[in-house]
This record gives sequence, structure tokens and C-alpha cells, in this order.
Amino acid sequence: MAVLARRLATQFQLLEAPKILKPASPPQFVESEAIRNLRATLEASIASKLTSGSELVRAVARQRRDEILPTTIPPLDALLGGGLARGKMTEIAGRGTRFSIVIATLAAATSIGEAAALIDASDSFDPQLAEAAGVDLRRLLWVRPQTMKETVTAAEMTGATGFQLVIIDMGSRRPPGRRVPDAAWVRLARVAESHGATILVSAPYALTGTTSEAMILAHAPRPRWLGRGNAPRVLAGIETRLKLEKHRRLRPGQTTTVFFQCEEAGCGGWGVGSGRTTVESSLSYSHTPLPTPHTRKAS
Amino acid sequence: MTRLACFYVPMFVLAARLRSEPDLLNEAVGIVEGNGSNAHIIAATRRARKKGIQPGQSLAQARSLLPKLIARGRDPECERTAQEALLEVAETFSPRVEDAGEGVVFLDVTGMERHFADDAPSDPDSQNSELRLARAALRACDAISLPARVGIAASKLAARVAAELPKSPTVVAPGEEATFLAPLPLTRLSPELEAAAMLHRFGLSSIGDLAKLPESEIASRLGEVGRELHWAARGIDPRPLMPRPLPPEFREGMELEWPLVALEPFLFIANAALDRLSKRMEIQGFACKRLEFTLTLDPEGYDARGIDLPAPTRDIKTMLTLMRLDLEKTPPGAPVVGFSFVAHPDRPRRAQLSLFGPSAVSPEKLASTIAKLVSILGDGRVGMPMTVDGHLPERYAINVFSPPPPPDMKRTPARARGLLAVRTFRPPIPIEVTTREAQGDDVQIASIRSIADSETPQPAPNSRNRIEAGAKVEIGSTVRICSGPWRIEEGWWSDRPDIREYWDVELDRGGVYRVFRGGAEWFVDARYEM
Repeated sequence: MAVLARRLATQFQLLEAPKILKPASPPQFVESEAIRNLRATLEASIASKLTSGSELVRAVARQRRDEILPTTIPPLDALLGGGLARGKMTEIAGRGTRFSIVIATLAAATSIGEAAALIDASDSFDPQLAEAAGVDLRRLLWVRPQTMKETVTAAEMTGATGFQLVIIDMGSRRPPGRRVPDAAWVRLARVAESHGATILVSAPYALTGTTSEAMILAHAPRPRWLGRGNAPRVLAGIETRLKLEKHRRLRPGQTTTVFFQCEEAGCGGWGVGSGRTTVESSLSYSHTPLPTPHTRKAS
Repeated sequence: MTRLACFYVPMFVLAARLRSEPDLLNEAVGIVEGNGSNAHIIAATRRARKKGIQPGQSLAQARSLLPKLIARGRDPECERTAQEALLEVAETFSPRVEDAGEGVVFLDVTGMERHFADDAPSDPDSQNSELRLARAALRACDAISLPARVGIAASKLAARVAAELPKSPTVVAPGEEATFLAPLPLTRLSPELEAAAMLHRFGLSSIGDLAKLPESEIASRLGEVGRELHWAARGIDPRPLMPRPLPPEFREGMELEWPLVALEPFLFIANAALDRLSKRMEIQGFACKRLEFTLTLDPEGYDARGIDLPAPTRDIKTMLTLMRLDLEKTPPGAPVVGFSFVAHPDRPRRAQLSLFGPSAVSPEKLASTIAKLVSILGDGRVGMPMTVDGHLPERYAINVFSPPPPPDMKRTPARARGLLAVRTFRPPIPIEVTTREAQGDDVQIASIRSIADSETPQPAPNSRNRIEAGAKVEIGSTVRICSGPWRIEEGWWSDRPDIREYWDVELDRGGVYRVFRGGAEWFVDARYEM
């Protein structure tokens, strides 16, 4: 009995409310003695402008973390407060034109010289189209996993390697394989945080839960055709509604409409002119801000 | 004046074995040559020698003196790799290195002592600088687990004799070779047995005694051998240094004492060998681009394999992971009794970090990551996408990912082109189509339906395979709007040109697809994302 009681006592100890530890304070930059002495000898106006190499590197790194990566789609950037946050994970879910957003983001990152990785779970990436959209293919690592586990593993590895942009595209359907545990997304968010990588997850349904910085719902896609009646038709483009479902710093609920077009009416946006058809942007959007409490009451 | 250094590893056979098995360093170990009753000791560790074990004893005699003696056979693979390692250390001190075999290396260090000169201007003596060079060489040899001795002199013979002395390092001042050799016994010159016996009968015991005699008298009695010995005794060695060419590859290997049947013990030993390989490449400033390994199987046969690394790397973990995956995929099929690794070197990629532009991905980390991804996902599933000349929309190629350096300054991204993307189906999905007539000769699509693959077994309900089945694309509906056709012809000059007609269709059930007809068959090859 004594042995049993001792065992239970150990278990009860485990069941006690855990002590909440104070979070560790962020590391403070300590000014080296040599720099302090040097600043002391200089005039105040000159000393204030003196920056050591380590301070400069830290400042640049901090600045990079605070930066955002614009998707270069003005309505979406407006919805996200400027673009995708660096060091964070952003998710786009739904049945809208997610892949067009993915391609535009890849073009934005690679055109400024950043290395990007596309984890293409559905193996549906078209290099011809991407090049036409402005993606610098030399800076793009194309990874084609076949299961969910491989997808998340590849994203984690590329994020930890130093790629500035990692995009997971799940395609239109769920890829084969078991569902990955939620811990995998937590780990992925930590990789983004620790390496300053921008991670964009594009999936038909929400996957990342609470681990993502922001979540956009792309829904209600509506194709537009040129021509009426019995006249020959040409696909003009697809319009999609985007809704900010969640954001850690912005108020959610705002919506916008984006129209991606296949220009060159004679070709339908593929084939001989496959996708290379849009000569200039034809983005149009209507921005619907969330009604204020006052307007809600009034309505 | 030419200055030559000699690296000499005493009991090289034993040293090479202990380098491969460092756990035996403090044990009583004897290296055995020959089989059965002919097995005899050729080298023994200090602990074994203290117990009376001497080279030349038979293994049975040695065991009677020390029953716990650990006997190891002579391993040519270990000796070869140890010799290569010694040569590579020598190459870090001089570009002109001669391989004299069996733990002996000569190198031309003329002028190299300046790299080891004392900072103090009051030390003009170059001999001290040479001493510092020799000490640095000793440290470098210790780092690769070879207990070498170093001698520096003006000739190969004097340098070799200086290196063989127990007190190391030894530097013989220029022109002092004869003086240095004089007090040493004649056996240091390694004369032939007949000549040695005759010199002994003459009553000569030291090198100095021989050097004092007239050269012609010695030559008349001992012939050409005597003349050469007399030159050697006077410190004259006419043999020039014969530098070896740079090796095209790095090798490490080992013969195992017992056959290995499990993967983990093999990887444990392979890890140590790869570590040695990596350090050797690091000394030369190389990285491994291709790793070849040959397994010696029991009772006979070899299993040779090769791993191409996406980028030159020295990361042991990556190479070991790739080796593990390769062996797990196709096991050798027999116990392993030895292995040999060959690393093909290449210059590692270098990148300079930018303060103001986007940071570059570390080439070493990138190489490791891509190698791991390739091993997990398979060939052709990781790389840089490339466009291919042609007209068919599904054309693409994948190449090795090697990004150009990022720009020095930060850029602003251009505004998006607002292009509608399509999701390509690889391979295209075969469909059945009903058509209706349209204006002219054109055909318009009325409905489409994907053709079920009858050969694919249907998964049982509630089984885990249902997820796989769920991933299969099924399309079927009447067509609401149809646009097309557009014609593509490729390879018209060939016997079987690819002639296709394409349509864009919007289905009543939702979704806009790209449909094409090639010959008599219909396919869906892309979906406008919805």
C-alpha cells in the first residue's frame, strides 16, 4: 500500500497546476567597452552617428524582419496591410484563384533577387506560364512532393535553409497520405520566425489553424466570357472574392474582388500564347471595408 | 640551397591500423602478417612491447607471452589511405611533395620557412623558422592521427635519417650534413647485408669512420655499392625530389575483422571514414561532388555504387543519409567484410553575404538540403524549372538548382501582370466527349466525362487507401460554354506529327477546363483555377 500511495502521490504532483514561468526577457544589446570609450572621446554630434559593424548588422536584420513582401496584387496587399509578413506564415484557402496569387507572389520575390521555393503538392506548376508572369525561374526551387508528410517536411527544410519565400500549394484537392499533426504547422511557423522566411500556404481548406499570421479566404470564383449568344466565345478571365478571415494585427472581415484575366482574346490564355497573353495588368477590385459597429446598429 | 623535409611515421603499418581503429590506441595490439602457423608479428603497440612482444615472433609465441594480445591482420586499404592522408598534410606545407611509400614523404620546403618566421626582427636565424615549420608539421600530422617525425636537411638521405631519430623534429643546418651523420651508426644508412658485413669486418661502426676513408679504396673493395655508401656517409645524395601529381580523387576504406550484416554498425564505421575523408578534402579546399563506394562482400564479390551530390559538399551527415537511403533501397544481399569510399572533388561554391541586398542562400546548406530532398522525393522531383522550346503546353524541364547571386542593392518588385494561372494535369486525363455541330466545320463540345481506369483496383470501403482514391480527378458534366478550337501542330516534318485541337469549356457543375483532341482521343490537360 505504501508503495501504491507513493506512486499516487507522484501522480498527484503531476496533476497540480503548473507554475507559470515568466517569459525570458529579450536579449539586450551590450555595448562593448571599446566602442563606449571611443564614443566618450568624440563629440556628441559625431558619437551619435557612430555605428559599429555588429550594430549595423543587427539593425539590418531587424529591418528585414519588420519588412513585408508585397504580392504585387494591390487589392490583396491592401487587405494584408501591405503584403505578406516576413518571418510569418500566411494562408490562402478556398476555391478561388489561389494559384494565380501564388504565381504573382513568386514573380514578386524572384524579380527582386530573392530565392523562392515552391512546394507543389499537386504537381500542377507550369514553367511557361510562370515565366510569362514574370517569375525568374533561375531563383525558383520547384519541389514536387507526393504526400502531405513530404510536403511539410520539404517546406520545413527549405525554410531552414534560408529561402526567403516558401510557398506550399496543395492544389485543388487534398494530397494523398495521412493528415499531418498540428504540431507540424507550429514547427513550420517557428522555422519562418527563426529564419525570417515568408511562408505562404495555399490550400482548398484551412490547414494551419492558429499558427498562421493571417488567413485569406478566396471564394466565389466567376468566369467571364467574351461574346454572347451563338457568337464565338473567348474566356476573358476569372473573378474571385477575397476575404480577410483572420489577422493578428488587422481587423478581419474586409473583402475585396480580384480579377485575373486571360488577355489575347484569340487564344483563351494558353496554347500558342499559353498564358503569356496578358500584356499589362488588368486588376480591378472593389474594396468593402468591414462595417463599423455604428453602421451595423443603424442597419 | 635546396631544403628538403621528410615526414616519417615509425611502425607505419601499426599507425595506419590505429588511425582507423582509435579505440585500440591504449590496448596491447599486434599487427600480424601471414596465415596459420606462418602468422608472425610485424609491429606491436608500446603496451604489447612492454610485455615482451617483438616483431618477428610468431603469433603463437606472442600469445604465449600475452594471451590477451589483440591481433589484427595487415590492412592494405588502411595503409593506403593513411599514406594519402600524410601526403595531403605535406601538400599543405609545400606544393612539391614526393611519395616515398610506407609512411615516408619528402617535400621541398625551400623558402617555406619564411611563413613561420618569428615576428621579432632580432631573430634572423632561418633554422629557428625551419624548426617552427617542423613543429607545425608535427601538429598537423597529429591532427590526422598519425604519429609522425620530421627531419629537415639539404638532401633526402640526411632528411630521412634526421626524421628517423627519436628526438623530433630535427633540423640539420645547411652544409652540416656530414657532421650530423658522423656520430650515427652505419645501420642508419641501411646498407646491403653483404656490404654491412664487410664494413663490420673492416672495424667500421659509425658513419664518420666510413667518411674518413678514401672513396677510391672503398669503391675498389665494395664496388658501386661502396661508392654510393661513401657518398651517403659524406652527406651527398644526388637523388632529386620527384614531385607527385595532384590526385584526381580521395579514397578511404577499411577491411573489417568480421562480416557485418546490419546497416547501423556499418554506418557507424562509415561515419568515421567519411569524417576522415571530409577532413582531407577540407585541407585541400575541396568538397565532394560524387561519392562512390564499393562494398567487399562475403565470401566473394563486390557491390559498387555511386551517389551524385547536387552541389559539392563536405557535410558528413548528408553523405551518410544518402548512403543510408541507398542501402535501404537496395541492400547488398551479402555480409560486408570491407569497404572503400572514393570522393570525386570539386571546388565548393562560395557566396559573399550582402548588407543591403537580399541575403544569398548558403551554398553548403543548399547542397545538403537538395541532396536530402532528392533522397526523400526521388530524382526529377526537385530542381529548377525550365522552359523548353516547342508549342505543346505541357512541355517543361527540370535542372539542377543553382541560383545566381542576389543583387547588391534592394529592388522594388514590379506590379503583377494579373495573369490567370492554370493547373496542369500530369499526365492529361483521358475523357469521353459528346459533340455538337457548330458554325462551319468546327466542333463544339456538349459534355465531357473522365474515363474510369478499369485496371486500377477499387479500394475497400473504410480503408486507408480511400485517401489515394480521393485524390484522383474525376470530371463529368454537360458543358455550359465552349470556346475553340485552336489548332497546334508540332513536328510536322516527322512521320508522326503532333496535331491537336484545343477548347476551353465551362461545365454546368462548375470549373473551367482546357480540353484537347489528339488523333481520335480526348484529354483534359489543365484547369483554370476555380
